[in-house]
Amino acid sequence: MRRSFGSRVDDATFELNLAPMLDIIVSIVPMLLMSVAFVHITVVDTPVPQAVEKAMAAADEKKDQVQILLAVSKETGYRFTISEKGETRDINIALKGKDLDLDGLHAESVNLKKKYPDVFKVELNPAENVPLNEIVATMDQVRTVGPKEAKVVFNDVDTGKPVETNLVFPDVVFGNVNGG
Amino acid sequence: MARRGFKKYMDKRSPATFKIQVTSMVDMFVILLVFLLKSYSTSPVQLTPSDKMTLPASTSTKDPVDVLKLMVSKDAIYVEDKKVMDLKGGIVDMKDVDANDTQFLRTLYTELDQQAGKSRTIASKNEEVEFDGKVILQADRSLPYELLKKVMYTSMMAGYSDVKIAVLSKD
Repeated sequence: MRRSFGSRVDDATFELNLAPMLDIIVSIVPMLLMSVAFVHITVVDTPVPQAVEKAMAAADEKKDQVQILLAVSKETGYRFTISEKGETRDINIALKGKDLDLDGLHAESVNLKKKYPDVFKVELNPAENVPLNEIVATMDQVRTVGPKEAKVVFNDVDTGKPVETNLVFPDVVFGNVNGG
Repeated sequence: MARRGFKKYMDKRSPATFKIQVTSMVDMFVILLVFLLKSYSTSPVQLTPSDKMTLPASTSTKDPVDVLKLMVSKDAIYVEDKKVMDLKGGIVDMKDVDANDTQFLRTLYTELDQQAGKSRTIASKNEEVEFDGKVILQADRSLPYELLKKVMYTSMMAGYSDVKIAVLSKD
């Protein structure tokens, strides 16, 4: 017996049973809602200098090491102090209007890194009236280059081959916590 | 007559069972699921920012670790959610400061020293646990370095010399 045109159309269209899928999603959503982090908190490492003895011992070991200090002031801006082979020189980055010049600081940090590729540590000496958000912003500018910027190149100690990295001065330490 | 009319009406009416259209609901749930999966945190340690403070923002992507939590708001200093010192708009009361060393916060030191003592005791009895002097500092973004310096100096004196500043991720 031939099937009518109408019955063939009924066979072709069917309703997908979405109830089990809905059950799964309803079970997953509360679980995800409990473990979701709407605000993502990360941390910035800021090791405080250890006891004076340790600091002195480390300084003795690295007599020829270039030391870079960064002073932050709300009145005068940034000042890099580079100590190399017993000589020191300053690089000043003036305020941009009334604010700290973060772009200028970043550009100068990258310049210093090109000059001293083996130095990874900067001692940060903020003035007492500098708020935390400006200290963190300063650390961000000194620590890394952005994803669109040219990467920093330095020679690997073991292989001697050039290595590309986005880290400029990743080791930012508060230098004046001990009262310096 | 009227009874027959009612029966006819009941027969003509659609059946008592009907299907709910769940397609749009499934669409909605799928969108919600994708959003939640995207913001799902895989970090083992979750830091919840306090409503008493606004954390600074940073490009740092380093996940927090499970260490002692030190919170500094404009009104108080907390160690592991326990209030240890009162502040007045981010300024330390002179009674909490050591007379011989203005950077040293005596009350905070006492609490941190106790915490360090506990951690050292656990570390001495359990080889898998090590006291490494790490502390996560959650501080309000507007607080001056003057106060943070005192907090860091005191924590360093108590044995917590590796300070990690909690920040809001910009990414």
